[in-house]
Amino acid sequence: MSDKVKNLAVTLSFTFFIAFFSIMCIVRYFNPVATSESERRPLAQFPDKITWEGVIDKTVIDDFEDYSVDQFPFREFFRALKANFQLNVLQLKENNGLAVQDGYIAKIEQDFTKELVEYSIGRLQYVYETYLKDNGGDKYIALIPDKNYFLGKEYGYPSPDYNKLVEDVKTALSGMEYIDIFGELELEDYYRTDTHWSQDKIDAVVNKLATALGVSDRLTGNYTKNELYPFYGVYYGQSALKPKPDTLVYLTNAILDACTVYDYETGKTSSIYDFEKFEGKDGYDFFLSGTKSLLRIDNPNATTDEELIIFRDSYGSSITPLLVEGYKSIYLVDIRYVSPTMLDKFIDFEGKDTLFLYSALILNSKSFK
Amino acid sequence: MLFSTISFIYYFLAAVLLIYFIVPFKFKNLVLLIASLFFYFYGEPIYTILMLATTLSSYIHGILIDKFRGKVWSKVFLWSSVITSVGVLGFFKYSDFFISNVNSIFNSEIGLLKIALPIGISFYTFQTLSYTIDVYRGEAKVQKNFVRLATYVSLFPQLIAGPIVRYTTVEAELSDRKHSFENFSYGATRFIIGLSKKVLIADTLGTLARTLYALENPSVVSYWVYAIAISLQLYFDFSGYSDMAIGLGRIFGFHFLENFNYPFISKSIAEFWRRWHMSLGTWFRDYVYIPLGGNRVPKLRWLFNTLVVWFLTGFWHGADWTFIVWGLYFAFFLMAEKFALNKFFAKIPRVFSHIYVTIVILVSFVVFSANGIGGAIADIGSMFGAGGLPLWSKDTAYYLASFAVVLIIAIIGATPLVKSVVLKIKATKTGNLVCNILEPIFVVAMLLIVTAYFVDGSFSPFLYFRF
Repeated sequence: MSDKVKNLAVTLSFTFFIAFFSIMCIVRYFNPVATSESERRPLAQFPDKITWEGVIDKTVIDDFEDYSVDQFPFREFFRALKANFQLNVLQLKENNGLAVQDGYIAKIEQDFTKELVEYSIGRLQYVYETYLKDNGGDKYIALIPDKNYFLGKEYGYPSPDYNKLVEDVKTALSGMEYIDIFGELELEDYYRTDTHWSQDKIDAVVNKLATALGVSDRLTGNYTKNELYPFYGVYYGQSALKPKPDTLVYLTNAILDACTVYDYETGKTSSIYDFEKFEGKDGYDFFLSGTKSLLRIDNPNATTDEELIIFRDSYGSSITPLLVEGYKSIYLVDIRYVSPTMLDKFIDFEGKDTLFLYSALILNSKSFK
Repeated sequence: MLFSTISFIYYFLAAVLLIYFIVPFKFKNLVLLIASLFFYFYGEPIYTILMLATTLSSYIHGILIDKFRGKVWSKVFLWSSVITSVGVLGFFKYSDFFISNVNSIFNSEIGLLKIALPIGISFYTFQTLSYTIDVYRGEAKVQKNFVRLATYVSLFPQLIAGPIVRYTTVEAELSDRKHSFENFSYGATRFIIGLSKKVLIADTLGTLARTLYALENPSVVSYWVYAIAISLQLYFDFSGYSDMAIGLGRIFGFHFLENFNYPFISKSIAEFWRRWHMSLGTWFRDYVYIPLGGNRVPKLRWLFNTLVVWFLTGFWHGADWTFIVWGLYFAFFLMAEKFALNKFFAKIPRVFSHIYVTIVILVSFVVFSANGIGGAIADIGSMFGAGGLPLWSKDTAYYLASFAVVLIIAIIGATPLVKSVVLKIKATKTGNLVCNILEPIFVVAMLLIVTAYFVDGSFSPFLYFRF
């Protein structure tokens, strides 16, 4: 190839490349995409109102910048290309804050955000002080480590100071008994593509909690293992790496099958597992239908009249069914979706045992705000 | 508008290229002018008027200087032009600096003006200054066509982050320039190289620098790696922008001068500044240092000239004492080299002069990037273990390992090694053939990768926008 031909080839490659994607951008203008399924977020749209004020204060330009990025054609291809280039060519250990270790995708964080953690703990303190301090029941709290805890411990990744978090929680909620479940978990107990743990791998955690709660002798531990495939965890799309999807595992037995779940928000009764939700945006919503402010699981085969109140996040959705044999009813409260000030309208706290079960990930988020 | 965005490449540039190459030659400057004004307006709607006013001022001053050539009025209009341009720059860039210093010294409470810095004002002001001064000196012909002068000042490839293109460099090409596949091909490849330097290396090193600076458990080594990362980031960011500017200029038929020449291989600070931001260095040399007498003056006068030039060089970079200290820091080493260090380094192996330059440069960029003088002292102290910092930490090891490949690429890329290898390969017939086949593939591949970074990236302005 002579220099002349090369010059022509470079010129044509450059112009055709830009021209092709420019035309595709114009085509996309007429067919914008509403949401990114993989990133689980709405995509920016073309600025709906172009005013002189908007141009001068640059809001229109900022909106257009967001639109041009979000609506760029072949978005998924380009996200995958970037992630692979970053991780496999440049050999960086993270892409957009996500690291992959032995197939497990985790969000890497250097430390917890003090303000967020303090706020979250403050909300729990409010619940304790308002409803639990003198209710006559036993009170427990357990924290669930994120996958990054194990990546920090075993593989040298940066990891937040979990010891300090535990100490802060113990100090703030000194009237509650802290149950340490960190030692009952390992990286393999979590889904590869999701933040959550797998229900079939947390029997040690269930035993530890049940022993502390004093109901271990009521739990049979006999379950049938069932599988749902494919399960696309939250990191499946975020990572843009197209890893092999997980298999969602859930446990059943006759007692669980007979349990009913009452939703205080809708007034409807359903079952523990929600197959419709598995097909939705977040497959983990399969457990107790996902984000619900206030639920009550009733166990018609209970051998006791005891009731338990669990303040929880989504991790609690998958572990609670494994504690249900120990109680007549379990109340599940998610104070991210219901104001803690009005809980006594729905729950009689008197004499009931309470468990706060929260993941570090949620305590270190804006969820409680 | 930023070069490293979807909106620039796939909307703006695509449209400009199409229109520019369709219209007849006589309209090409007008197309470039309108495109450049839109380019500036997109990022600085209000200050577009300021840029046009500055251009108009230079246009009128240029004509007046030429009209009264040989008479005292010519000099009057030159000074009027300089005072106007420097005054505008001083008002928009340095007002609050002066006010806060006056407040500190006299314990007064004069309110700050809080004027947003117009993007690129330092660059286009220096360009307009060079025009009127060169017209006065008779080194440039007066430009009576406003469109041509405005095109020169506002030319979008170099408008907001340089290089500082002298009017004399593009004077002839404003009225007559060649468009060819050779120019386009060179420009496109150069643009992609610059874009890749910015997006793939500078921004990644920026992430490393920010992360290391914010470490919960920093170490002495993490501060040194931070210094290396921030220095290389500045180099790849700014030289990448210059590559893009030179490349885009070439596509449109302009030949801008080089702005960087592998500064990190320098053996002295004087050499470093002959290789780093060359357009700024030569500007200060030709319009400040030499008019002050240069080095053909008594020693004391030379010291004064050097201090003035480096004070101004630092101050040009920003309205903060940190930048002034940064400039004077270089003045100190330039003087030290002239009086002692050059003789000393001539006697010992060359590697020591490289080590000396590297350490001086790393420390300089730590000062440059620091949050005030106090922050700079603290950061340099941390590099040398002040405050009982440990030598090493787990997090340092992690980030060093994670960014090792990028750091190695950046260190190699900051030397002429790759260029010399490519030139050697091209020197053979087969090698030239292979390079010619690979170049279009390289252009498309890098466009794909940087586009992927745009699509999945976050906002990342060029560092030199703030100057």
